[in-house]
Amino acid sequence: MIAGYLMTAPALIVIALVTLFPIGYSIWMSLNTITSTYNGFQFSFNGLNNYVTVFQNSMFWQALWFTVTYAAVTVTLELVLGLLVALALNQPIRGRGLAIAVMLIPWTLITVISAQMWDYIYNGIYGVLNAILMSVHIINVPVLWLGSPVTATISMMVADIWKTTPFVTMIMLAGLQLIPSDLYEAAKIDGATGWRSFWNVTLPLLRPSIGLAALFRILQAFGLFDLPFVLTNGGPGTSTTPIAMLAYKAIFNDGNFGTGTAVAVATVGIVIILALLSLKALRTQVGEIE
Amino acid sequence: MVLTLISIVVPTLALSACSPSNTATAPTKPRSSGAAVTTIQWAAGTISGTGLRANLIHQFERLNPDIKVKLVAEANNTDTTRAQLSATISGGSTTPDVYLGDVIWPGQFGHQHLALPLSDYLSKSYWNRFAPGLVAGASYHGKVYGSPWFMDSGFLYYRKDLLARYHLPVPTTWEQLKSEAAILQGRHAVRYGFVWEGASYEGLTCNWMEYLADAGGHVFNSSGRPDMNTPQALKALTFMRSLITSGVTPSAVTTFTEPQAMNVFNDGQAAFLRNWDYAYSNSQTKGQSTVIGKVAVAPLPAFAGHGSTGFACIGGWDMYVNPHTQHLSQALRFIQFMSSLQAETKLATIASEIPTNYAVQQNPEVRKLNPVLAIVSKTHLIARPSQTPKYAQVSQAIYTNINAALAGQVSPQSALQQANQQLANATSTNAL
Amino acid sequence: MSKQSRIIRKAMGYTVLLLMLLIIIAPFFWMVDTSFKTNLDIGNFPPSFLPHPATFEHYIRAFSTYGFGIYFRNSVIVSIIATLIVLVLASLASYAIARLPIRGKAPLMVVLLAISTFPEVAVISPLFVIMQRLNWLNSYQSLIVPYVAFNLPFAIWVMRTYFAGIPKELDEAARVDGAGVLTTVFRVILPLATPGLFTGGVFTFVACWTEFLFALVFNSSNNFRTIPVGIALFSGQFTIPYGTIFAGSTVAVLPIVILVLIFQKWVVAGLTAGAVKG
Repeated sequence: MIAGYLMTAPALIVIALVTLFPIGYSIWMSLNTITSTYNGFQFSFNGLNNYVTVFQNSMFWQALWFTVTYAAVTVTLELVLGLLVALALNQPIRGRGLAIAVMLIPWTLITVISAQMWDYIYNGIYGVLNAILMSVHIINVPVLWLGSPVTATISMMVADIWKTTPFVTMIMLAGLQLIPSDLYEAAKIDGATGWRSFWNVTLPLLRPSIGLAALFRILQAFGLFDLPFVLTNGGPGTSTTPIAMLAYKAIFNDGNFGTGTAVAVATVGIVIILALLSLKALRTQVGEIE
Repeated sequence: MVLTLISIVVPTLALSACSPSNTATAPTKPRSSGAAVTTIQWAAGTISGTGLRANLIHQFERLNPDIKVKLVAEANNTDTTRAQLSATISGGSTTPDVYLGDVIWPGQFGHQHLALPLSDYLSKSYWNRFAPGLVAGASYHGKVYGSPWFMDSGFLYYRKDLLARYHLPVPTTWEQLKSEAAILQGRHAVRYGFVWEGASYEGLTCNWMEYLADAGGHVFNSSGRPDMNTPQALKALTFMRSLITSGVTPSAVTTFTEPQAMNVFNDGQAAFLRNWDYAYSNSQTKGQSTVIGKVAVAPLPAFAGHGSTGFACIGGWDMYVNPHTQHLSQALRFIQFMSSLQAETKLATIASEIPTNYAVQQNPEVRKLNPVLAIVSKTHLIARPSQTPKYAQVSQAIYTNINAALAGQVSPQSALQQANQQLANATSTNAL
Repeated sequence: MSKQSRIIRKAMGYTVLLLMLLIIIAPFFWMVDTSFKTNLDIGNFPPSFLPHPATFEHYIRAFSTYGFGIYFRNSVIVSIIATLIVLVLASLASYAIARLPIRGKAPLMVVLLAISTFPEVAVISPLFVIMQRLNWLNSYQSLIVPYVAFNLPFAIWVMRTYFAGIPKELDEAARVDGAGVLTTVFRVILPLATPGLFTGGVFTFVACWTEFLFALVFNSSNNFRTIPVGIALFSGQFTIPYGTIFAGSTVAVLPIVILVLIFQKWVVAGLTAGAVKG
């Protein structure tokens, strides 16, 4: 029916113009040497040269490795913590409504604000984190949380986990509430309680929620930019530079439109592969549309 | 005070305002007679003195009724400004017509055609007005891209009350500074001896250039090859590290940028501070400092046996012209006005910035304005190795490795080896 | 389950609940707290728990010296317009997908959703070049258009479930009364699907309100900066005005917290119906 296509057309056209077309254009840009001249940008086709440059550059691999590690650690911890909290809250206790309301707040928080907030908390001179840890004698001298690659990475992960775990919890909680209680009753009759009923009933039925949350968070983690932009600016040195920041700096700070775009396209390639790998999780969702 | 300054300036004003405009040989439309008013856009970040930019624009518009200047605020963050200007201009934008940019940009901006080679349009004599060394710093491959506007350099700030109480002289060598700092710490006069900027960022490259030059080293040799793995460089780096290991400098310095170092000093926790020219007025500001009236400034020290004054790294900001501007002659008139005696005097009076105009810098009235301006002529300047379009990568190769050595993650020796290797990579064509 | 173990579970539940609330609220408290401290107080170690003396100076400075009002206005304009456009376009598209026979719905939905989660950096350089050619840099549309495109897929995804839940008999009744498709959607179906609109609207608004990279790159002029960019660039080379940053942040956080608390029910519903049930 034509009406159907007409009604979806405006949305699809906007999406295509702003996402699909630029992705194609990105690929084209990444195959060119782009120089800025007194007459604006000048493109000259150079095949895969930009990719050779990118893949031979140790900075690219370092940023990729950082992004992958960061995504793996934060997403895993967020899922585990989110599930634990959701399980604890998935029972008739008072104040649950309040808890859910409060959990929404970090999600609405502008990442830049959260980064400034943590920057002040981690501050090596007058940060409150050092004050608290020193007052309970966990440390004796102030620690420079953002001063060395390892502590800076961990500090950034903590800020991320703080902001995102509540959201993951909400998805888990929503999933838990969809599990019919008679399934637990049935499991109980079979003698399964506690851990057994968790493994046999809860976890399998929660798998779609977990899969979706994981996929969503992994994709987000590959776009990581705001948090390091404010918290560490990719440092100390380049140790907390994620791939999106590498591309941004190459393109906009140094004017390397060609190689910078190649970094971005390579990232998207990796993301697509990841998405395809997770397609199974998605397919379970899609099945219900038909 | 302001009045006397202006009266000194006014007689020379007529000269400075009209002579350069004849020298503009720009191939643009002739200045239209009559009421046509052209508006040019000037992008500039916040400058410490309130109202300075508006004040100067007002002054310029009064002298040039056919031009209006629209101020566009730049971000306060240098790298973000660089990204925004570089992206905007490389795409062919005709605005801003004139912009304020860091002194280290001529390499990249000249190479990528983001700035107009001003030396093609302004007479040779125009450049004589600037303090020595500044024009060379604003050049790339023989052409001048930036018209210096205000300069900056490293200074040594010290607690004059403490030095007087313990009968210590103002240090002229690094070794002396270190021992005096230790004495003051030993007497519990201060918690830390000496604070500076040691975080892994551009500011550390500046600090490093000072010690490196003091020890007689350099980043690139005369044929342009990386040459930082030398005994001189090792001496400089070993000394910097010893400041930390001896406790004179807190280990937190490896995360210090200017605000952190400033804050420790303003809190009265440090005896010595290396910082830029803003630090004097900052330390004397009510509500953010506990050391008001207790601070003095001196040129940075040298290593013992290497002269009486150390090197100070050059910073500051230049005026650049957008190569796509459609109002070239107006833009050129504007930048000439901005480096004139009148404008540069205002810059020193209102904003306490160090003027680039040599006559203003030497003017006794200006030197009286504050202790920093008084000692500007005593400093030995050292420029960062910014004569390359890849300067951002060059600097990164320097500060990441120096920072690692300061934090004790690697030995000074291997940090320098590593830095030299990365400098070679950074300047090769395939850098990212 | 024995009574004893049920009590233990409940106790655990409360412990987790309290702990979580504390962890979530503490940094917020510290931010708001700091925004009322004087500059000298902010630089103290160990820090003081409460501001003494409390000052309102940072709030005044944020708006007078730092022009926070401009950022606030821009964020409101961009977020509201983008949200409205998303709701209109998504209503049409999701109704069509839920009701009308269109081929290849399922793959379409998956592709759309996948695209909307692409890292923005993938399209940043071409979009920048395009915006420049269109002369759109430093404008509201440079943000509104990408925000609409990136948020439409999720809004369609969520709203589709609500449309599917409305009895088809209503459409038929409307058609018998002579209403066209558009009238049916906007007059008959949409009023029944307001929860879907709320959900799609809140998610879109929050996403626009918090977006950073596009806003940073496309609108470099101070007059078109949004709150995230404004706050990220508050710090200068020589100063980090924490007090002012947190004063601005507090002002930026309040409206959206209120908004989300009002629409809380539908946000939770969105997570349940949209994301989980599929």
